[in-house]
Amino acid sequence: MKRQIPLLIVMILGFLFVIHTFVPHKISADFYDWWQEWSKAISPFAVVLGVISLGMVHGTKISRKAPNWQYSVVTLFALVFTAASGFIWGRQDGTPYMWLFENVQMPMSATMFSLLAFYIASAAYKAFRARSAEATVLLIAAIIVMLGQVPLGMSISRWIPDISTWILNVPNMAAKRAIMLGVGLGMVATSLKILLGIERSYLGGGD
Amino acid sequence: MTLNNFVAAFLTLCIFSFLYKENPFYRFGEHLLVGVSMGYAIPLIFDTVFIPYVYRPIFLDHNYIIIIPSILGFLYVFRYTKNLSWLARYPIVFGMGIVGMSVPMSMHSQVLVQMRTAMLPLDNINTILIFIGTVTILLYFYFSKAHKGLYGKITNIGVWFMMIGFGASFGYTVMARISLLIGRIQFLLGDFLGLIQ
Amino acid sequence: MEKKKKMTTWNRMQHLDRRYIYIVVAVAIIIPLLIPFNTPTYVTEPTANIYKKIDSFADREDKAILMSFNHDASTMPELFPMEVSILRHCFERNVKVFTLCFLPQAAPLVDYAINTAKEGYDVTSGVDYLNFGYRPYALQLPIILGMGEDISEALETDSEGRKIDNLKIMENIRNYDDMNLVIDFSGSASIQTWIIYARAKFGANIAAGITAVMVADNYPYLQTGQLVGMLRGLKGAAEYEKLVDVFAAYKDEEYPNGRPYSQEILKEINVPITAKNVTYDITDDEGNVERVVTDRELQYDFKKARIGMNAQSVAHIMIIFFILVGNIGYFITRKNKQNKLG
Repeated sequence: MKRQIPLLIVMILGFLFVIHTFVPHKISADFYDWWQEWSKAISPFAVVLGVISLGMVHGTKISRKAPNWQYSVVTLFALVFTAASGFIWGRQDGTPYMWLFENVQMPMSATMFSLLAFYIASAAYKAFRARSAEATVLLIAAIIVMLGQVPLGMSISRWIPDISTWILNVPNMAAKRAIMLGVGLGMVATSLKILLGIERSYLGGGD
Repeated sequence: MTLNNFVAAFLTLCIFSFLYKENPFYRFGEHLLVGVSMGYAIPLIFDTVFIPYVYRPIFLDHNYIIIIPSILGFLYVFRYTKNLSWLARYPIVFGMGIVGMSVPMSMHSQVLVQMRTAMLPLDNINTILIFIGTVTILLYFYFSKAHKGLYGKITNIGVWFMMIGFGASFGYTVMARISLLIGRIQFLLGDFLGLIQ
Repeated sequence: MEKKKKMTTWNRMQHLDRRYIYIVVAVAIIIPLLIPFNTPTYVTEPTANIYKKIDSFADREDKAILMSFNHDASTMPELFPMEVSILRHCFERNVKVFTLCFLPQAAPLVDYAINTAKEGYDVTSGVDYLNFGYRPYALQLPIILGMGEDISEALETDSEGRKIDNLKIMENIRNYDDMNLVIDFSGSASIQTWIIYARAKFGANIAAGITAVMVADNYPYLQTGQLVGMLRGLKGAAEYEKLVDVFAAYKDEEYPNGRPYSQEILKEINVPITAKNVTYDITDDEGNVERVVTDRELQYDFKKARIGMNAQSVAHIMIIFFILVGNIGYFITRKNKQNKLG
């Protein structure tokens, strides 16, 4: 029953949504409004999941004095302090809460992703090898697209941006469309499997 | 160079220090980032979601029916318990129902519209190439028939199209990664050191 | 003997410590940023299409655009200059503009973009622009669908807690028929949600401002018309910056509020980024360049993407060089190994 009732709810709601998509009747619109209002009330609680998960991971590390547990103290302290600062001093510009966002969260999350530039350069030097004809075509296409994006490409030859645009508009388009069709059909199939109760992994483990 | 920029620049360099090797500065920055990111979300969600969609309807507008979805939402808390984790399925399935809408809508946007445009009149070399490429790639992903003989040759055409497509993606990926680094260097050189005017 | 030494050099280069490569990367980006130079910015069709669509709403009370900020600070270098440029375009040409985000980390970025863009413009929140603020990701779908019926019902309040219904900007704006262009800024596939629901169900015009990583994947949507246009990475941002400088922010006696888009004008004009004020370098048919210097300052934030494109140029050449040298080394060492074996 712990699984059957949730599955039944998904099925009923799912088929009501199928009907809602095609039937613009008032009952259908009312159903949607009801669902929307309830979804809004459910949504804020999802953040609790994240907090509990983070608290459990780092709390366990600290209590077991696992290697590098001191850093978990940093995480939990930062979590509590940032949240508390938002509640105590508010969220307007100039508050400690916004200061933390601007000078701690923003620069570090941006820098995390910028590390990838170094890795891709290193991979370009060490890993991208024209080992086969197909790999050679991939590399040539990549080089033309790279040159086509920067003014320098136009300076080398005015054909480079044109060829780059052609690559994107023709062979790339064909490849991405075929993949999109596959993904699209896959999405529909997965959605149908959820609706029919065949796909159940989103329910998690247990009975 | 303000204190704000100094802190931001120091933390930026903490993260960059990972390029040399893993070190305490990087680990400190990484853990700080995780804590601040989560801590940041809590008051924001409380003010902009909990208050208008839970507190206000129940306590100010006296719309008591909202207590039911609030309890449903609260069931998320049981996700990490041993015996009651099944209760957390209810808020999940309530949102999951909308896949009923995604079936016809995805079919339309991702499949039918794409197929319709792939079947434009084949009146020039490019539309012919797009058509050939799309069909041969789809055949390549059809694994119920062995890729041998003529069929193998046809699916091989699809491989070439895919390689060019992956090349284009790679070219753009390089561009994206470099752009992100440019942003950080612009911060360090411009906002922090004031060297870019 | 000399040949042997040459081989070992290539071999050594194959196993070069990655940190030397990192130093080259850093230098290749730092130098062009420190020593700026002027390069032409070529505007492509997917960018121009967004510009033209927004421009067609100029001075109209019954039309508006929505900017959806679906990203955090990590992709800001690519997306932030796009957002600032589009906001400037709207402020220059009197286009009503709404902003919205579904990520907590995006909420302050919306304010930064508006505050950066509105410098020097006499615009008011609730009249010329409106920030709907943050809504949780779980509500993305209900809100996208809800705005197809009634925006003020779907969102109710703005970021400052004001009732949307009572604000002047909402006059004549009810749903996607009026808020007829949605631009989603993202480093993920979030544009699909707009295409699948807002486009398919309500016929809304959708455009994308996306990081370069996502560009190639979204080309099919351009051909089908499901996307009106696409701003592609830092280059897209640089293109839009130029369009705003050349058309929307252009002022003379004939065009006191900006001039209309024209491909001919665009072809012959360059806006040098090293100039202090907005400057137009106009090239005539014979290749002569006439320089027109305006009295408007070319602010750093309004040319940031174009400055970045200088470094991008050098970095692309560097990556291509890495690929070529890496492959030459690979083939030479492989041949050497084969010679030894055979």
